[in-house]
Amino acid sequence: MSQHGKKNVNEFDVIIIGGGITGAGTARDCALRGLDVLLIERNDIATGATGRNHGLLHSGARYAVTDQESAQECIRENMILRKVARHCVEETDGLFITLPEDDLAYQEKFAQACRSAGIGAEIIDPKEAIRMEPSVNPSIIGAVKVPDGSVDPFRLTSANITDAKLHGAKIMVYSELTGFIKDGNTVKGVRVHSHITGEDLEFYAPVTVNAGGIWGHRIAEMAGVTINMFPAKGALLIFGHRVNNVVLNRCRKPANADILVPGDTVCVIGTTSSHIPFDEVDNMKVTPDEVDLLLTEGAKLAPSLATTRILRAYAGVRPLVSADDDPSGRNISRGIVLLDHETRDGIKGFISITGGKLMTYRLMAEWTADAVCRKLGVDRKCQTMDIPLPGSKNEDIEVISKKIWGSAGTIRKATAGRHGDLTSRIPAGNRYDTSLVCECEEVSVGEVRYAMEELDVHNLVDLRRRTRVGMGTCQGELCACRAAGLISQAGNCAREGKKDLKHFLNERWKGIYPVGWGDALRESEYSQWIYTGVCGLEN
Amino acid sequence: MTEMKMQENNISENNFEQCIKCTVCTVYCPVVPVNPEYPGPKQAGPDGERLRLKKGIFFDQTLKYCLNCKRCEVACPSGVRIGDIIQAAKIRYGKSRPKLRDFMLASTDMMGGIATKVAPVVNATLKIKPVKQIMDGVLKIDHRRSFPEYSSQTFESWFRKNALRDQEKFDRHVAYFHGCYANYNYPQLGKDFVKVMNALGYGVRLLDGEKCCGVALVSNGMINQATRNARRNIKLMEGALSSCEAVLGTSSSCSFTIRDEYPHLLGVDNSSVRDRMELAVKFIYRLLESGKAKLEFRDDFKARIAYHVPCHMEKLGWGIFSARLVKMIPGVEFTMLDSNCCGIAGTYGFKKENYEVSQAIGKPLFDQIRAVDPDYVACDCETCKWQIEMSTGYKVMNPISILAAAIKGRD
Amino acid sequence: MKFDSIIIGGGLSGLVCGLRLQKAGRKCAIISSGQSAMHFSSGYFDFLDRTPDGKTTKDLKEALGNLPEEHPYSKIGKERLTGYMGSVKEFFSGCGIKLGGDPFSNGYRITPTGNFKPTWLSLEDFSLLENESVPWKKVLIANIEGFLDFNTSFIAESLESRGTACRTSVIDIEEMQRLRRNPSEMRSANIARVLDRQECADKAVSQIKQQLQDEEAVLLPAVFGLRTPEVKDRLTKAIGREVFFVATMPPSVPGIRTQMRLKEEFEASGGVFLAGDTALSPELAGSRVMSIGTVNFGDIRLEADSYVLATGSFFSKGLSATPERIVENIFGLDIISDTQRERWYDTDFFNRQNYISYGIRTDSRMRCIKEGSTVENLYAAGSVLGGSNPLYEGSGAGTAIFTAMYVADSILSSVNTTL
Repeated sequence: MSQHGKKNVNEFDVIIIGGGITGAGTARDCALRGLDVLLIERNDIATGATGRNHGLLHSGARYAVTDQESAQECIRENMILRKVARHCVEETDGLFITLPEDDLAYQEKFAQACRSAGIGAEIIDPKEAIRMEPSVNPSIIGAVKVPDGSVDPFRLTSANITDAKLHGAKIMVYSELTGFIKDGNTVKGVRVHSHITGEDLEFYAPVTVNAGGIWGHRIAEMAGVTINMFPAKGALLIFGHRVNNVVLNRCRKPANADILVPGDTVCVIGTTSSHIPFDEVDNMKVTPDEVDLLLTEGAKLAPSLATTRILRAYAGVRPLVSADDDPSGRNISRGIVLLDHETRDGIKGFISITGGKLMTYRLMAEWTADAVCRKLGVDRKCQTMDIPLPGSKNEDIEVISKKIWGSAGTIRKATAGRHGDLTSRIPAGNRYDTSLVCECEEVSVGEVRYAMEELDVHNLVDLRRRTRVGMGTCQGELCACRAAGLISQAGNCAREGKKDLKHFLNERWKGIYPVGWGDALRESEYSQWIYTGVCGLEN
Repeated sequence: MTEMKMQENNISENNFEQCIKCTVCTVYCPVVPVNPEYPGPKQAGPDGERLRLKKGIFFDQTLKYCLNCKRCEVACPSGVRIGDIIQAAKIRYGKSRPKLRDFMLASTDMMGGIATKVAPVVNATLKIKPVKQIMDGVLKIDHRRSFPEYSSQTFESWFRKNALRDQEKFDRHVAYFHGCYANYNYPQLGKDFVKVMNALGYGVRLLDGEKCCGVALVSNGMINQATRNARRNIKLMEGALSSCEAVLGTSSSCSFTIRDEYPHLLGVDNSSVRDRMELAVKFIYRLLESGKAKLEFRDDFKARIAYHVPCHMEKLGWGIFSARLVKMIPGVEFTMLDSNCCGIAGTYGFKKENYEVSQAIGKPLFDQIRAVDPDYVACDCETCKWQIEMSTGYKVMNPISILAAAIKGRD
Repeated sequence: MKFDSIIIGGGLSGLVCGLRLQKAGRKCAIISSGQSAMHFSSGYFDFLDRTPDGKTTKDLKEALGNLPEEHPYSKIGKERLTGYMGSVKEFFSGCGIKLGGDPFSNGYRITPTGNFKPTWLSLEDFSLLENESVPWKKVLIANIEGFLDFNTSFIAESLESRGTACRTSVIDIEEMQRLRRNPSEMRSANIARVLDRQECADKAVSQIKQQLQDEEAVLLPAVFGLRTPEVKDRLTKAIGREVFFVATMPPSVPGIRTQMRLKEEFEASGGVFLAGDTALSPELAGSRVMSIGTVNFGDIRLEADSYVLATGSFFSKGLSATPERIVENIFGLDIISDTQRERWYDTDFFNRQNYISYGIRTDSRMRCIKEGSTVENLYAAGSVLGGSNPLYEGSGAGTAIFTAMYVADSILSSVNTTL
């Protein structure tokens, strides 16, 4: 359906550039409002900052003292996501702890600020906090309980994409913007190069949305407008298993490595913060100093981190935007920045949505879709605060597994945890489909097939984002070859399959070597013997 | 860069993180080849543990098929305590309460205490076909299983009447953890132990009020009872060690449980006694090797003996001591059997649902015993003994009993 | 407990050393902490696929001349090493293991991903290719249905790119159903256990025969012959075409078999193999090791005239890495390594990784060095040694075997001189 009487297959109501959580959320919101949507992404979904953060379902408490507005946004969105993104969210609660070296007086100020932002913050006895989260530093002198949680950004993005598609949106991954089609000062459409087919294509829409995250800087330039963005790198470490089941934060002004988030089978400490030049954005490396800093600070939150095996290190780039009246970048906003380039720059049919955070993606999408509708002259209300995402009907893992299988073993429960009520779509009818591909994260052949057939998976890295294949302890050592085999057989592309396998192992290695000691190095030595020694894949 | 002094070791509960997914354990698990319901040591152990740490709902009931033989741990090149991880998960997450059957099988000392009093009746009854059918149907104890006989006099009561007086004539003493089997089923083992220790110049003392080591309680999920027994036994051993050189056992499973399962699974600190609690064969080996004592063997002792290393003995790494003692007996023709599980795994093989699996696991061992055709099989574990005797018809003797039979002196 | 020699490590190197000593009449014990890296064998032994400067080797004698001084092969010395190479097949056949190939030149193998890789000698049931071209015009590549650790399409793609016509097929035998019910245990060793049963092997054969058309050879995953390599001959006879095994992802059936055979041979020749035990707290007096303890033996110490460290590299825990340094785990021996962590790795997974070349420093007789001085009766063999990058060079098995022989001979000659 089109709002404007669609004529051609390459005409849409709105084109969204960027398959991060903001683009995905905007595509879903627009599609739910009945718009004809095209989303283009030069890579896979959730490859930028979306998939490179803590996965923290902020309560907003972190911002309460410094930025009441952000805090309020966070807690509102937090409550909405618990409802509509149930299978992506884990309601763990969080603690803001005060260590002997911190100022205990800050705690009261903090709790006050939380309450005034509408965040249920409760000062609790440190002993109670230790009972609640046994891994916490036992020397804490203060603790505040807040409604933090964790959210899986890959799952969240994928669910938004799935729903957008269910509502008619066209999603094109591996399709890179090469230029804008402009008529004077009006953006009429986009030129796109498909990395899959090699084709160059053109698409048209009255409104184009730049949801490119940090890459939005360059996208804006291509459209002839300037956004002052500052890439801020944040490095994080993933530990081999869950040390904590409650989010741990330091109760002080936000600083380095002061959040430890339990997410799925692992936990994540972060972040550092450093400005980097734009040319490093596509190839970030975590330095030994960053690793050491994260560990040293992290062990203050949970001392056992000092002896817990680290799986990998990674870094994301926050798309920070400086206020328009401050090109120096000193006055940087972490809030949502929605720019209508018609009013701001005189470029019609072009909107940029940036800033913000994973937590507020839905609100960003709502504002953007509102702006799109205004431009299209359409009056449709946002529904994303009420309609659950696909997979997020109000049921828990055990209920879902029971419904589908009666009695379910670990593997099926793991699948249900990842796909929520969509699990019923995953083939499990025969004994091949229930065979395990990834033994660490318990991903079956059926789940891999489902991801390949329904979730726009083009390679092993995509598959990892949809299913957690290769995200476990072995980092692909056993499963990568199996999954590559399945993808190759499905697509009849063994040559590409082997290249993809090499690429995947390198992508994993990039995160492993910065923490390459102890058992991580043992595991790497084993993997390298298998894939080069036994398999000779290096040739 | 300054030194962090961190990450020198990766330590986690049961060290499951040291698993580098090499799959070696799956090759040596005796259950995997015969029972497809069992997820295998890697899945059940370190892989499953990560998910269970996320949420208890990821616990899988099929972990009950683990024999707790620890062969995975012996094979693991990473030192992961795979068996412990699985047992600990069963303890922590397994919700089902033990059935009457499990309770009966696990309560070896209580059942033994009752049965010895009416031993002839019990022994006869347990052999009657209708009784076996009832046990099979109602209790799910497999009817094909032959039951160990109960003795009409416990070892403890024999010891008090016949041996106690003489023991204090010795200058040096050891305490004897006889276990349920020697006490209720086969007091001869206890008598043999006393004979051998006396021949070595040691008097034997009993632990007053010894409780079952708890191995069967642990595997049947009766953790509270097992923990109570463990605490009590450690306390008794601490007391005994003030005047005895060591606490010795003759059952590899009892000794293994006391030394390793107490701290690892029950969280009972045994550090005050662990170094001095061991199997008699190890103690005797040390004694003979150091030249501090000697055994005089009969000239007319002749036997062809095949030695089977029980799984827990394999894990303890002490099979060599039993083997060396038996081999040192003049007149013994010794064969070391391949390292295979016999399949009984304590009470596991008694359960109806495990019978087939249990016999399939033991098959390679039974076949080899038949091929070797020894006069008898030597083995340090009583449940292996039952299984091998029932499945092959060959007589099985504890190495201590073999020593007792081979040395000079009266019984 | 007293022995003539105590070997720490029960992998290829430890067993070869133990066998050579034991067969020369020395009483040996091997302390083995878990199973070895043999469980990931490719079915072939590599000696030197390329030199440290990256040149592919063909004539191995010639290549030996260009190795750096600290390389374990250089320490053995060219003359001695070529002598060993000449006798290596005899040594292994004495242990019941037949090896194929020319010990002085490399051939090729087909890997699980279909790549062609230089290699040295093959286990009995594996075959060497003379060069990088495929010796068949048409082949059938068969897999066991549902077995994910072997992928026929990878191999077919590679052979087809070299001009060989490939067909792929699956073998599905009833007895495998039971195993397949288990989602995680459809693994090579478990499959091999099923196929070790004659009636199952027969069924596999009859299916392959039905599937065969005019192909000259059948390529199969190495899931046959967990107990004996002779299975290959039986298959070949029954099928009537050439049978060619390709290694699977771990665990390795031929590797497990070879490990078990060497261990059996060692025990049969009177050696003591302490499985699942870990050596610790060595006692040194001056420049000699006096005794060593183990976790299981507790206060009962193991004593010997000479000790051999064959503990492997990181995988086998002979070495370990902390964020700051590389450590030898039992004796705290001197290590060849880089001090800066950044130097340990290459950012490309498939490039030469420096950390793999790290290992202990020895004198020319492979005696270990601690705090700058030689420990007179402590030798090292296998991948715990520094001075070469066995993964990059493809020299893992050769180093394991020949340093073990060299160490055994050093021990034997030192015994003879003292006598």
